[in-house]
Amino acid sequence: MGPDMTAITKDTTTLANLFRVRQILDNVESKPQSKVSSDGLKFNPLPSKSYYYWLMAPAILLLAAISLYPFCWMIYMSLNDVQIGSIKWNNFANYTKLLHDGKFWNGWTLLLKYSALCLFFQITIGAFLAIVLNNSKYEKIIVTTLLMPMMMAPVVAGMVWYFLYNGTFGWYHWIFQSLGILGAKSILADVHTAMWGIVIVDVWQWTPLITLITLAGLKRVPQDQLEANMVDGATPIRNFLSVTLPNLYPVLLIAIMLRFMDNFRFIDSAMVLTGGGPADSTKILPIYLFDVSFRFTELGRAAAIALILLIVTIVLGKALVRIFDRQQPAATH
Amino acid sequence: MFNIPRNAIYTSINRRKFLELGGGTVAGLGAGGLTLGLGSTITRSPAQAASSDDAKWKQYAGSKLKFMSENTPPSFAIRDNIKAFTDLTGIEVEVLTDDLPVVQQKVGIDLQSGKADYVLNYVQDKPIGAPFADFYADLTPMFGDSTLPQDSEGYGDEAWYPNFLSACGRFYEKGKIIALPYDAAVACTFYRQDIFEKYTKDFEKEYSKRLEFNENSTWKDVTDMATFFKKLKESGQDVPYGYAQHHGNFAWTTQLDIQRFLFANGRWADWNIDDIYGSKTPGKTNWGDKQSVLMMQKFKELADVCHPDNLANGTLELNTVYQAGKIAMQTQYHEFAASIEDEKKSQAAGGKTAYAPCPKGETSWIVNGGQAVNGTNCGIGGIGINGNASEDLKRAAYIFAIWSVSKNNQLSVLKGLGGTPTRKSVLADPEVVAARKRPTKMPNALTFDAVYDLGIKDPNFVLGPKIPKSNEYYSIIAAETQKCISGGSNAEDTCKSIQTQLDTLHGV
Amino acid sequence: MASRDIVNYNTPLSKAFNWFARIFVAFYLVWTVLPIFVMIVSSFKDLLEAFQIPAVGDWLGARVFFNFTPTFQHYIDLFTEQPFGTYLFNSIVAAGGSAIISVVLGSMAAYSLSRTDFKFKNDLFFWIISTRMAPVVAVLVPLFAIFRSLNLVGSLPGLILAYTTFNLPFAIWILKGFFDNVPYAIEEAQMVDGASRPKALISILPLVAPGIAAFIVLCILFAWNDFLFAAIIGSGDAKTLPVATKELVQPQNIQWGTIMAAGTVTTLPMMLLGLVIRKYLVTGLTMGAVKE
Repeated sequence: MGPDMTAITKDTTTLANLFRVRQILDNVESKPQSKVSSDGLKFNPLPSKSYYYWLMAPAILLLAAISLYPFCWMIYMSLNDVQIGSIKWNNFANYTKLLHDGKFWNGWTLLLKYSALCLFFQITIGAFLAIVLNNSKYEKIIVTTLLMPMMMAPVVAGMVWYFLYNGTFGWYHWIFQSLGILGAKSILADVHTAMWGIVIVDVWQWTPLITLITLAGLKRVPQDQLEANMVDGATPIRNFLSVTLPNLYPVLLIAIMLRFMDNFRFIDSAMVLTGGGPADSTKILPIYLFDVSFRFTELGRAAAIALILLIVTIVLGKALVRIFDRQQPAATH
Repeated sequence: MFNIPRNAIYTSINRRKFLELGGGTVAGLGAGGLTLGLGSTITRSPAQAASSDDAKWKQYAGSKLKFMSENTPPSFAIRDNIKAFTDLTGIEVEVLTDDLPVVQQKVGIDLQSGKADYVLNYVQDKPIGAPFADFYADLTPMFGDSTLPQDSEGYGDEAWYPNFLSACGRFYEKGKIIALPYDAAVACTFYRQDIFEKYTKDFEKEYSKRLEFNENSTWKDVTDMATFFKKLKESGQDVPYGYAQHHGNFAWTTQLDIQRFLFANGRWADWNIDDIYGSKTPGKTNWGDKQSVLMMQKFKELADVCHPDNLANGTLELNTVYQAGKIAMQTQYHEFAASIEDEKKSQAAGGKTAYAPCPKGETSWIVNGGQAVNGTNCGIGGIGINGNASEDLKRAAYIFAIWSVSKNNQLSVLKGLGGTPTRKSVLADPEVVAARKRPTKMPNALTFDAVYDLGIKDPNFVLGPKIPKSNEYYSIIAAETQKCISGGSNAEDTCKSIQTQLDTLHGV
Repeated sequence: MASRDIVNYNTPLSKAFNWFARIFVAFYLVWTVLPIFVMIVSSFKDLLEAFQIPAVGDWLGARVFFNFTPTFQHYIDLFTEQPFGTYLFNSIVAAGGSAIISVVLGSMAAYSLSRTDFKFKNDLFFWIISTRMAPVVAVLVPLFAIFRSLNLVGSLPGLILAYTTFNLPFAIWILKGFFDNVPYAIEEAQMVDGASRPKALISILPLVAPGIAAFIVLCILFAWNDFLFAAIIGSGDAKTLPVATKELVQPQNIQWGTIMAAGTVTTLPMMLLGLVIRKYLVTGLTMGAVKE
C-alpha cells in the first residue's frame, strides 16, 4: 500500500469525507474492470461474478420471499370471489365493481386532496423556514428543535393530537375556539374541517423534513454568483428567483415525491384521528382499503384495491428514482 | 362426530390450502409450519361419565390454549382471573387482546383457512359472530356430555337474561349454539338528576311538562329537553347541553344509535328477516320507506340540538363528555356506569346521575302502524370455540368456556372491575340485590333495573340485523347518517342512498 | 461555508421582512414544541386535572394548565400494572434485531451491487427499492398469511422479519451509495498485498462504518415507530410500545394520563437517537437523494 493510500484511508473515516474522496479519485472506478484482471498482475484472482452473487443472495432471497409472494397472492385473490366458504374465479368482477364503487373513487379524490394540501403547506412553510434560518446564528439549535416531531411514532402523534383536538378538554380546541376559528364543534367533528385536522398533524410532523432538505439544497447555491449579481444591482428577490430557486428546485422535487409516497403508505395518525370519518370526509384510499380488508374481510376486493394502489405507488416510485439518478451527480458536488 | 360445520371446511379446500400458506412456496424454507393449532397443545387423561368432578375438570391438565379477545375490560378480567382456572383444571390459557378490527382480521383468516391458532374467541355478537358464525363449533353436543364437567345451572335460555343466549349464540341455523354469553353492553339512559331538578320549573313553563326522565319518556321528549338546554346555553347561561349521541367514527355504535331510534318508533327493522337467527340472504332492505325517511328527519332534528361535537364521539368520547359534566343526558351502554360513578374520574358521580331505560317511541311519529317501544339494543360478547380445532382441543376449550361464564366468575368480575353479568343467578345474589340501591359497591348494578328488568325484554329489545356483511352495513349506515346529520344530504336522499348501497351489497 | 448573510440590504422592506421572519420562526417553534410539551405535562396529571380547561376566550385562564399536583402514578402503573417493561423490551429487540439483520445482509448485497454489473442490475435494484414503497396496508394481509403458516405471528422473530421487509431495501439502497464512493483501488491494493477477498471487503468497512452506524439507528427509528406491522404481525407475544400505547384507548375506559405517559416513554428514546444521528438524518430520510 502506497503512502497516498494510507493518507486517504485515515482521512476518510467520516462520511462527509467519503464524498470528497469520490472527487479526488474521480477517475478511479469503484467497480473492478475486466481489463484489470486480464492485465496478468500477480495477485489473488479478482472476484468472479459468482462471488458477488453469493454475497447478495441472502438479502435478495429474503426480499423475494417477503415481497414476491404477497404480490402473487394479491393477483390471485383479486381475480377471485373470496367469500366465506368459497373462492372462485369471477371474471374480473372485483375490478369492474370498483368502477362503480363510489368509496373507491372518493378514496382517490381524497387521497390526492390530502396529499396536495399536506404538500402545499409543508413546502411553503418548510422552504420559508429554511430560507430564513439558513446561515443564521441559531440555525443549528432551531433546526434541531424542529426535528422533534419527526421522531415521534405517527400513531402516538395521532393520539396526542386527538387529545389536543378534543372538544371537551382539548387545549388546541380551546385555542381555536378562543380565536373564533371554530365553534363548539371540534375540528374532527365537522365534515368540512376534519380533513384539515389530519392535514395539520401531517404538516406538524413533516414540515421539518422539508426544512432540512431545503437547507441542504441552499448550501449548494453558489454564493459567488449571488454576490456577483448583487454587485450588478440585482434585488434579493430577483436573486432568489434567478439563482436560489433553480438550485432548490431539484431537492424540492425529491421532497415532494417522498412526502407524496409517504402519504400513500402511512395512515397511522389518520386512523387514530378520524378513521375516515365523519361521513367519509377523510376516507382516503388506504383507509378504505384498511376497512375492506380488515373490517369487512372482503379479501378479493381488498386485493384488487391493494394491487391498484401498489401499482400506482410503484409508478410514482419509478419517477422518483429517475429524479434521484438525475440528481446524484449534483448531490455529491 | 359432533356437528361441526365440516361441509364448510371441505368444500373450500382449495382456498383453505391457499391461505394455509401460500401455495407452499415459502413452506419450503423449512419452518415446518403447517401444524394444526399453533401454540395450543393438548395432554389428555380421559375422564369417564362416572369419574369424579375433579377428574373431569382436570382431564386436560397440562394443555395450553390460546384465547383471542378484544381489548375490553371483560377480557382483562378473564386474564386477571386466569390463575384460578389453571388451579382448577391444570389448563393454561393465554389471553391475547387486540383492537376489534385486528381481532376480526386474525380470527377471520384463522377460521376461514381451516386452522385453529386461536381455539377460543371472544365472539362479539354482530361484528364477529354474524360474519363468521359458520366456522364456530356447535356447543350443543357438549352441553349434555357426561364425560365433561358441566355447570349445574345449565345453558338453556332460562339460565341467562332474556335474549342473551340468542344474541350471541344463535345465527342462521336453528338448534345450533356457537357461543355462551360472557358479557353484555346494553343501551340505557344516563341523566343528571341534579340538573334536571334545578331546571324543571323553567322547563315546565315552556313545555308544560316536568323535566324528568322515566320509562315513558319518548324520543320527542328527549328532543324537547335537548332544545331547552340548547336555548339556555345560547342565552349565555352556564348549563350543559341536553343530550348527545355516538355519531363518531366507530361505525357500529353510530349504527346502533339510529337503529335504536328506528326500532323504538314502530319496531322498524332494516330487513324483513328473523331477528334472532338473521339471514345470509336478507333480500331488499326497508330503507327508503316512509317510516325510515321520517325517522331520519327526526334524527337529524335531534342531532341539531345535541352537543355539537357529536360527530367526533364514539362510546368512549361521549362518556368522557358526560363525565366532564358537559351534557345532561346520554344514551350509553350500561357497563359505563362504573366509570360515571368513579369520583376520581367523573363530575357526574356521587348520586348526581340516575339511570333509566332507553327512550320510547313517539306514537305521532309512527306511520307504519307499528308499536312504540323502549327500543334497546346491545353488544353481547360470547365465548366461542373455533370449529376447526380437533375434538380434544374443543373439549378443553369448552371447559374454559363454561368456567368463564359461570356464576362465580361473573360475580368476582362484577365486584372487581365492574362487569356486566349474563347469568340470571348472579342477579339473585344478595350482595348484587343490595348493590342496586345507593350507596353501592358495584356501580354497574345501578343500571340493572333499567336494563335487565325492562330494556332487554320483548318487545323492547332488538338483536339484529344478523347478516354476514354486518360490518360493511355498519360502515354504510354510519357514513350516510353522518352525511345527513352534517347537512350534506337531506333525509330522503340519505335513505335512498342507504337503500341503493345495501341492495348493491347483497346483489338484489 | 461562508457564514455571511445572503441579504445585505438594509431597506425598510427587508427590515420588515426580517421582523416578520423572526416572529414566524418563534411562532413555529412554539407550535412545534407545544404538543410534545402538553404530552409530557399531561402524563403527570390526574384525569380530572386533565379535564380542566378555561372558559372560551379567557386567555389568562390558560394558567390552569399548570394547576395540578404532579403524579408519577401513570408511569408507575405502566410498569407495574401493565407490562410495559416487556413491551419496551420487545420494541428494543424487534427494532434492534431488524436493524442489525438489515444492515448486515444489506451491506453484503449493497457491496456486491456496487462492485459488479449484470444485465438486469437496474431492474433488480429498482425492484429492491420498490418493496419499500409498497403501501403497508396493501401487503399486510398476504404477509400475515405467510407469517402465520411459518408460525411467526405474534413472535419477536416474526416481527423482526416483518420490519426487515422495509429496513432491508432501505439499507441496500443507502449503503450502495456508500460503497459506490469507496474506490475499488483500495481493495485492489489489499489484494495485491495478498489479502483474501473477504478480507479486502473487511478492510474497507472502516470507511463506511460511521454511515453504517447511523443507518442502524435510522432503521431502529423506522421499526420502533411502526404501528401497523406491529399491530397485525407482532401483537400477542411481541407487542411493542406504539401498539401498547394505542391499546390504552379502550372502548370503555380511557386513561389520558397513562396514554400520555406511554407516549412519552415511546417518544423520548427516539428523540435522543435522532439527536445522535442528526448529521445523517437528511440523507437517511430522503433515501440518500439529498446530502447535507
